[in-house]
Amino acid sequence: MLVHSRAGKWATWAVFLLLFVPLFAVPLLVILAASLATNWSGAFPSGPTVERYSAATSGDSLQALTTSLVTAVTASVLALTLGGWAALAAAALRRRGKRLLDALFILPVAVPSVVVGLAVLVAYSKPPVLLNGTRWIVILAHTVLVTAFAYQSVSAAVRRLDPMYEQAAAGLGASPARVLWRVRLPLLLPSLTSAAGLCFALSMGELSATMMLYPPDWTPLPVQIFAATDRGSLFTGAALAVVLMTTTLLVLAAVSRIRTRASYR
Amino acid sequence: MSVSATASAVARAEAPAATPSRTAHGPGSAPARPRSVPSWVWALPPVAVLALAFLYPLALVVQQSVTPDEGGVSLDPYADVFASEVFRDALTTTVWLAVGSTVGCLVLGFVLALVIAFVPFPGGKAVARFVDVFLSFPSFLITLALLFVYGSVGMANGLWTDVTGAAEGPFHFLTTPWGVLLAEITYFTPFVMRPLLAAFSQLDTGQLEVASSLGAGPVRIIRRVILPEALPALAAGGSLVLVMCLNEFGIVLFTGAKDVTTLPMLVYSKAILESDYPAACVVAVVNIAISVGLYGLYRVVSRRAGA
Amino acid sequence: MSAAALAPAPGGTAAPSGIRFEGVTVAYGGNVVLDRLDLTVEPGEVMALLGPSGSGKTTALRAVAGFVRPAAGRVFLGGRDVTALPPHRRGIGMVVQSYALFPHLRVKDNVAFGLKAHRTPKAEIPGRVTEALELVGMAAYADRHPRELSGGQQQRVAIARALAIRPGVLLLDEPLSALDARLRSGMLAELARLHRELPDVSILYVTHDQVEALTLADRIAVMDRARLQDCGTPQELYRRPRTEFTASFVGNANLLPVTVAGEGAVAFAGRPLAAPTDTAAPGATATLCVRPHLVGLGAGPNALTGSVTEVQWRGSTHRVHADVDGHRLMADLRELREPPAIGDPVTLHFAAEDAVLLPAGTAGASGAAP
Repeated sequence: MLVHSRAGKWATWAVFLLLFVPLFAVPLLVILAASLATNWSGAFPSGPTVERYSAATSGDSLQALTTSLVTAVTASVLALTLGGWAALAAAALRRRGKRLLDALFILPVAVPSVVVGLAVLVAYSKPPVLLNGTRWIVILAHTVLVTAFAYQSVSAAVRRLDPMYEQAAAGLGASPARVLWRVRLPLLLPSLTSAAGLCFALSMGELSATMMLYPPDWTPLPVQIFAATDRGSLFTGAALAVVLMTTTLLVLAAVSRIRTRASYR
Repeated sequence: MSVSATASAVARAEAPAATPSRTAHGPGSAPARPRSVPSWVWALPPVAVLALAFLYPLALVVQQSVTPDEGGVSLDPYADVFASEVFRDALTTTVWLAVGSTVGCLVLGFVLALVIAFVPFPGGKAVARFVDVFLSFPSFLITLALLFVYGSVGMANGLWTDVTGAAEGPFHFLTTPWGVLLAEITYFTPFVMRPLLAAFSQLDTGQLEVASSLGAGPVRIIRRVILPEALPALAAGGSLVLVMCLNEFGIVLFTGAKDVTTLPMLVYSKAILESDYPAACVVAVVNIAISVGLYGLYRVVSRRAGA
Repeated sequence: MSAAALAPAPGGTAAPSGIRFEGVTVAYGGNVVLDRLDLTVEPGEVMALLGPSGSGKTTALRAVAGFVRPAAGRVFLGGRDVTALPPHRRGIGMVVQSYALFPHLRVKDNVAFGLKAHRTPKAEIPGRVTEALELVGMAAYADRHPRELSGGQQQRVAIARALAIRPGVLLLDEPLSALDARLRSGMLAELARLHRELPDVSILYVTHDQVEALTLADRIAVMDRARLQDCGTPQELYRRPRTEFTASFVGNANLLPVTVAGEGAVAFAGRPLAAPTDTAAPGATATLCVRPHLVGLGAGPNALTGSVTEVQWRGSTHRVHADVDGHRLMADLRELREPPAIGDPVTLHFAAEDAVLLPAGTAGASGAAP
């Protein structure tokens, strides 16, 4: 379309690959290769091994994986409920109320995650609500962080929803509650599942706030990866990172399957 | 029984009389709603939860930042922090890293998106999907990968020592701000590419064909046709990346560099490593002010752009 | 068959039929989109709201449904003031342009939706769903999803869904505009049949298409610029329009500027013409409306001579445009063996009783002349 000569096209593609491959494809491949290597201090990794994976899927690492999964699922469900509710409530408000709710629920995106961690730490390290040292403080911080994204995607979906459906339902005698349960929520289901996927992925990879908050008995996978690399076990870190990426991708794939089934058009 | 009958009679008598006063509806708010519960009541529960989980802690941070350990309320913590060398360094480092990364992401993202959208090649769709997947991974994976490539015992240095027989390789930039810059550009470029690809898919390719039939070369088409269309998406993507770079923590933490300190890093080290909460809160307030200000700007820009 | 089942049940539960607008005004931020509408739709009557887009006809329908709240005036359903009632308490059936079938529900569940919302006993629902679907010939599609249906089929399901709750009032908002021309005429006949089978249901039919209005309606309310311009049976509106707007929007019309000369006489471009003047005072300016198919070729009463400016062959007729002293006169003539050529002199005439005198300056801003 833009470049018409054959030579020009090949030259453009060559530049593209030269930029794209080393910057984006190589890092992920390097991690994958490193996770399978015994040592790597030359051009190529040496000695393929799956030893790291048996370590990465047992003991502390397995514990970290389940910790991450539980945290991510809990935070996603909470965030989806909170953000979805807020987005639906905001849609019914007049312009000013909508703006206010938008600002409030999107604020956690703008505030640095480390600061969210610090704030939660400051607030819940003392009575009346003492959460510091428990898993709940991690889950709380994750929920706050991903609620903003849940709110954003649900409210975008609510805006796209054709008001004709609600009106047709109301015209047929459905009360507002019935319109919500039988019409709006089912129609929003595809967007809700993709919002859930987004929240899950974000929570799985969350490091900044977690570093401020995690108690010794609730170490999510990213913290474990950092601990491994920090003490110099880069290859173990790589294996854990691969476990993290694979889990995230598997869950995202499952979510997108549900979404395809839930979309009707 | 008679009470309820009276009440409903009153309601019936009042209802029509009340209607003329409800005139000033915009088209969006026109639907008549039952009077039982006003819609703002439904917004209260989630707002209350958010207030408890986020707004109240945030307020405490601000309060803590003006409460020195000795007690009382004063701006001394601010004076102390602003006077410290570490803070000033962190502030400069954070800002120039964020600005540099943003510029890098914009240039790189624009070029890559341009090729994917307008010089289509087999597998272009797969590349676009890969970009989406990339967004769902945490940022620190990039630093981890760079450690293998450019780390002190990584590929590049290993190759160098093997070839030259030197005791040490030449690549040490990973623990400098340049390493952070490289990692941030790599990680955040997809955040620019995604809105750009969306904007490009809206562009009528007929415009390009007409422009090129009128004798415009690729450079002129990009400058005169594509760039104006992409500007809103570039502005929105750029300001989002700027905010995310200001707030980035994982990438910096993973380089393990002692001499690269950004504001989020400073918050972490003050609070967790030094247990100096008032100082941590001061840095946090400064960081919030910069990020939220810029994010507000981003929202305005992206609303203007209709994103 | 099923029509009896869908008719309002005997006893006190009959759904209210008939609609009345009393001075209904709707404004959006100071912009009046419906201005003091007074209109009554009798029980069992089909009323078409006909007008160009932006004329306020859809707003009127939405005021009946309860989706817009009038700034002033009242809406009555079956004699009951429903102005303050939310849509779901009004018990009306409604079909919109896009059908708005719920994409996540099967056809039968779409039809059952209103029944469940009205808390119809569970045991009754399947039977009533089947009845409603049979009425529109869609019983075989009960288990399909809306996306598996064609536009015409979706339309039928939307009608069945609206009728399943046995409403006394059925609102149809441009229901045929999303269909192609061939399907449209079929659906029009279908709607006419439905109305014969449900004689007690009042139907308010919003359309911008005069053919739909003329075919289906017992009466037509012509709307323009937020106001009701004219209301009457199709024959009345066609034969005796009351405004220039109605004359040109319902059918084609020659509108000739005239001056009233005296009892039964007007002057057009300085020529005397015979026309019914009713109560118009001599000297008043007015517009004479003559339908093109009532204009004849050659000499006769009210003969006018001009030159041919355009000839269109339309199969069974020729439409001849003539220029008479700078005014256009159209005639629809039975197919001519030797049609006149452009520039030929031509003489046209019409009977005095075929002409209608209209007040001048009632053309409306929308410029509806086809």
